[in-house]
Amino acid sequence: MKKKFALILLVLLTLTIVLGACSSTGKGDSSKITIGIAQDLEDSLDPHRAVAAGTKEVLFNVYEGLMKPAPDGSVIPAVAEKFEVSQDGKEYTFTLREGVKFHNGDPVKASDVKYSIEKIAGMMGDKPRISAFSLIEAVNIEDEKTIVIKLSEPNMELPYHLAMTNAAIIPESNKTPDTVAIGTGPYKFVSRSPQENIVMESFDDYWGDKPFIKDVIFKIEANADTLVMDLMGGSLDMFKHMTKTQVDQLDDNFRIYEGTANLVQALYLNNKEKPFDDIRVRQAMCYATDKEGVIKLAFDGKGVPIGSAVIPAFKKYYMPELNDVYTYDVEKAKELLKEAGYENGFNMTITVPSNYDPHVKTAEVLVEQYKKVGINAKLELVEWNSWLSDVYGDRKHQSTIVGTDPSSMTARAMLERYVSDSGKNFVNFSDERYDEIFKKAISTVDDEESTICYKQLETILTEKAASVYIQDMAEFVALNKKFDGYTFYPMYIIDVSKIKPAS
Amino acid sequence: MKYVIKKFITMLITVFFVSFFVFIAFQIIPGDPATAMLGTEATPDEVAALRVKLGLDRPILVRYGEWLIAFFFGDMGKSYSYGISVKEMIGNKIPITVTLTLMSFLMIVCVSIPLGIYLAEHKNSPITRFIDGLNRVIMAVPAFFTGIMLTFIFGLVFRLFTPGGYVSYERNLPDFLYYLLYPAIAIALPKIAMTVKLLKSALLNEAELDYVRTAFSRGNTTRQVIYKHILKNALIPVITFLGMTLSDIVAGSIIIEQVFSIPGIGRLLITSISNRDYPVALSIISMVAFIVIFINFLVDLLYKYIDPRTEG
Repeated sequence: MKKKFALILLVLLTLTIVLGACSSTGKGDSSKITIGIAQDLEDSLDPHRAVAAGTKEVLFNVYEGLMKPAPDGSVIPAVAEKFEVSQDGKEYTFTLREGVKFHNGDPVKASDVKYSIEKIAGMMGDKPRISAFSLIEAVNIEDEKTIVIKLSEPNMELPYHLAMTNAAIIPESNKTPDTVAIGTGPYKFVSRSPQENIVMESFDDYWGDKPFIKDVIFKIEANADTLVMDLMGGSLDMFKHMTKTQVDQLDDNFRIYEGTANLVQALYLNNKEKPFDDIRVRQAMCYATDKEGVIKLAFDGKGVPIGSAVIPAFKKYYMPELNDVYTYDVEKAKELLKEAGYENGFNMTITVPSNYDPHVKTAEVLVEQYKKVGINAKLELVEWNSWLSDVYGDRKHQSTIVGTDPSSMTARAMLERYVSDSGKNFVNFSDERYDEIFKKAISTVDDEESTICYKQLETILTEKAASVYIQDMAEFVALNKKFDGYTFYPMYIIDVSKIKPAS
Repeated sequence: MKYVIKKFITMLITVFFVSFFVFIAFQIIPGDPATAMLGTEATPDEVAALRVKLGLDRPILVRYGEWLIAFFFGDMGKSYSYGISVKEMIGNKIPITVTLTLMSFLMIVCVSIPLGIYLAEHKNSPITRFIDGLNRVIMAVPAFFTGIMLTFIFGLVFRLFTPGGYVSYERNLPDFLYYLLYPAIAIALPKIAMTVKLLKSALLNEAELDYVRTAFSRGNTTRQVIYKHILKNALIPVITFLGMTLSDIVAGSIIIEQVFSIPGIGRLLITSISNRDYPVALSIISMVAFIVIFINFLVDLLYKYIDPRTEG
């Protein structure tokens, strides 16, 4: 018996080692990169229907619009070669680039462009996927190389909206864009396996600079606990959204890039819900919040405090001075609360989606901070989907902590949600002056004037204490030293074409 | 035969109830596929429009009825999240979870039965005492923690496998099996500890009984008594336990799949629930329920074989 048992053990052990030896190959290969992503593309492969930031981040490599974003926050021509705007700002003439091909080999035709723009603008029955596109009155084909977009009102931001992944040009011939991804980007979609991976390959006929790395695998890495081990073990070459704590555990085989997440993290207050319908209470909340304390305690001191709804990466619109409007001041907070009739504080609930650890941690710190002014905050963790339907959809919340990201590189994308009748106004902010200035900001053809308007809007949000703005979180990217060249964008994007083998 | 038919009907009814309650649960919890698909870009109008498009505006019972009839005829519908047929999605994942389950089950049986007998035979040796102690520790450690420890020790320290380096069975079968070895161990370890303990005490209990003394007095050797008499009786509670364990593994593999980044049924189930992708969730849950009941059914049959006294 003993002998038999020992034999079985021996056989198992040998098997383990032999098999182990033959499975550890493929190290040091830099023609292939495996990038971890936290969630699968669960909405759609159709760029016009993709909604999750995580989906657009990946699809960015497959699709392009007439324009595309550049790392410095500007936009550059992509499928279009150049464009002209009429004097009144209501007519855009795009000249299509010569020799742009779809991944299926077909050349991009003017009709494909017309089809795509009309599809996004909701001219085929659906609602416009990009709110600014509701201005589009007509998309006309002048000739095979020229497209004219006519607007009902002047708009100077159209090129920015056209650079979004949501505004990608797709072939009219593809009847199932939901499951078959065909675009013009530097990488073409090869295959996917639900909850496993998305495989891409560099596109040989790409019109622009050829990507450096041939094979790209986006691997779904749902478990944060094993992320560091998977990176160190070599099954992942890169992961984008990492925390300081995770990065500190990595060995020196990784290059670490530090940037910002480009999210407005805030304690969003429901302006219609008691007691936050009182501006004095909202201001008191701002005074009672020690942003630096949050960043120090929950984020290892990494993060940029903000005072309004625009992220620092939007340099043109960002107003750092707004960050000093409400400096941490417990006495002032108490005073304001007393004025508002809450001398003894009050009870409040902070609803936080449980899958976002940074927001949960922030909430935990805030709960402690608010005790000092007599506010008894309670943390309520909900699942992401319940958050979407109850908090975001039905606005049934008192306050919540999340990060909101700009869907395009315009100030509009960040500020539109505070317009009274916006469908995305989940804080129920309502201010007549704000609505008026916003209208002016989006319709003026004068860039300087629109910038001034946007800055006024930001200031209003701060003055009226629409919410308690906390920070743009720091973000770390880990990249195996086999590679180099990771580039940040002021948007939620992974641009694989910029990554190259390390020399 | 009558027994088999009776069991089979019970099975169908159970699956029916399970799927019905899951369906109702999806209606009660907040959020639906439309809000999940539209995310933060959603406006109330868009959600309403998408709900109509997906047919979610119709009464619950109508939708459930449709799903049930289609499911009965083998049509599991289309995933909301992926836009492809559920059958295709699950079909690719089932071999992964089944392999993982069978591997760990095989380990449990192959290790715990010989080990249990050995420990019962040598109940006073220091080795037995040592293994008993170790058993207690292993039993107390949950599988996901064992999984993380195994990954750390064998993946990062000894570099015997690549953590997270799952290989699809379609691409390379030996690599696939080898990768599953570690998660299978993680699942099997606590179960082995329990089975060993159970078998050992069952054997020792049986050994005290009168028929054992009779067997010895007839001149049988210890070995003969153990294998021919005691073991057969002692195995009955162990088989019950193993049957339960097998269903437990199917459910438990969900967690281990997360730890080892294995894209099996478990991962799919968790994400389909959080996305309210109920054609997928419903199909998986109904199938798991079916498998669990089916295993119990097999165990019942096995009893009859081992111990003919068992009533059907």
